[in-house]
Amino acid sequence: MLDIPGQVWQRVKTGPLWRSLFRHGYPDSRKNQSLAVFTNVFLHLHPVKVRRHALAIPYTWCMGGLSFFLFLVLTLTGTLLMFYYRPTTEWAYSDIKDLETVVVFGQLLRNMHRWAAHGMVITVFLHMVRVFYTGSYKPPREFNWVVGTLLFLFTILLSYTGYLLPWDQLALWAVTVGYNIAQATPAIGNEISFLIFGGYQLGPNALLRFYVLHVVALPLATGFLIAIHFWRIRKDGGISGPL
Amino acid sequence: MTAPRGPQPFPGQEKRLRLLAFVRQDSVVRVDKRVEDTAMVWPHLLVIEFIAAMIWSIGLFAIAALFNAPLQDHATFDCTPNPSKAPWYLLNLQELLLHMDKGLAGVVVPTAWLVFMAAIPYIDRERVGVGRWFTNEVGKKCAILAAIFTGVLVPFLIGLDAFIKMDRRVTDPVTGVKTGWPGYAEFASQYFPGGRELIPNYVIPIAVMIALPLLLVWLCKRLFGAGTREWMIAIWTGFVVTFLVLTVVGTSMRGPGMDLYAPWALPATHQCFAPPPGG
Repeated sequence: MLDIPGQVWQRVKTGPLWRSLFRHGYPDSRKNQSLAVFTNVFLHLHPVKVRRHALAIPYTWCMGGLSFFLFLVLTLTGTLLMFYYRPTTEWAYSDIKDLETVVVFGQLLRNMHRWAAHGMVITVFLHMVRVFYTGSYKPPREFNWVVGTLLFLFTILLSYTGYLLPWDQLALWAVTVGYNIAQATPAIGNEISFLIFGGYQLGPNALLRFYVLHVVALPLATGFLIAIHFWRIRKDGGISGPL
Repeated sequence: MTAPRGPQPFPGQEKRLRLLAFVRQDSVVRVDKRVEDTAMVWPHLLVIEFIAAMIWSIGLFAIAALFNAPLQDHATFDCTPNPSKAPWYLLNLQELLLHMDKGLAGVVVPTAWLVFMAAIPYIDRERVGVGRWFTNEVGKKCAILAAIFTGVLVPFLIGLDAFIKMDRRVTDPVTGVKTGWPGYAEFASQYFPGGRELIPNYVIPIAVMIALPLLLVWLCKRLFGAGTREWMIAIWTGFVVTFLVLTVVGTSMRGPGMDLYAPWALPATHQCFAPPPGG
């Protein structure tokens, strides 16, 4: 009788469903550890083996990985926030108010999104600082550094477009500062600010544009660049290290 | 008919060769490295990633539970907060705006910097020093020199700009005539070619932004015999320190009217700055 759970477990583990999901045994041998990384779509971003110095936290600060982690957190919390938010000047502010007062855990959700966004600006910046000082942009990683500078720019843009969405005084006037800067662009100031803000004053058009940029265009572009960034790390032999 | 070139397949095995992989010498864990140099990703790397993600999840959760995201009143154009500030990570640019032409500070300088930053690996192409913090002793010295150089000069320049722009005119109570130093911008608009635009807003800022980095590079070469990588470290350190100083000054030292205040004496933002009557 006592043996029944064990027998059921054995049957499950040798059954066709289990074996179609996991094509290797528990990763406690070199072979299975390799297969675990190799046959898993998420883990196979990694090589099977890395050089030891790549594990050293004083070297990496973990900042690249944590930037990606925060990007995932922001995608998740952002998607949940989209259920409660309408990007119109009539509704945006009251939707945020509702989120804080009516929606269960709404305030916590919004807080997590906000602080993770600030955090990502910091982690991306620190990641760049680390990569620079360790000379990790040097050949063959030149172009990945270029992709990285674009990702830094996109992080700032993502954060900035999100800043307008609550449509409160803080949002409006912070973005107005950016609007005035765009207006001051040499030669094409009017055109560029019309393009970005959808008018000659911040209004419903600007809110809608920032929303679409914030939830669709910029995350897609950023995700695309992240994929290139990671792919190239692999192709260039993992993260940098002493020659 | 000529015989096909290249190695011929054995009889009975006339298959095409397939390219399975193209392995560059420096692109994988190399064969000549000893085994002890490598570690299995499962478990060694994945454990680190898992723990880091856990700590940050818990930390973010705690911060989100303790501190609420700010939400002010409904947006209105009738009410301008004084000062109006951008998000903190753009306050460095907003700080620059105070010292030069808007288009120069807000668009040209950041664009030029981003282009330069992206071009760094194409300027510094030596592979020596990859994977070592600051490359070598010279790199470390350059970083320290640049941090001190920039950390002293940038606050000094911000202070100097505020000081010479200050209007110190005294109005004579009898005649009503103002005498004394009218502030640098006003002085320039009266006496300099191009008024307050050309020299104060373009010539001086551009000259300072070009001359000081060049001076820094020259110092590094002169004092430490810096090569490309080492002077690039100095420039980068200069950027990082400038970025931090401008962000801190913009965030915690700019009060109403974007005037300078000590961080502990910073007045609260006037939430509603009513326009003056008739203005």
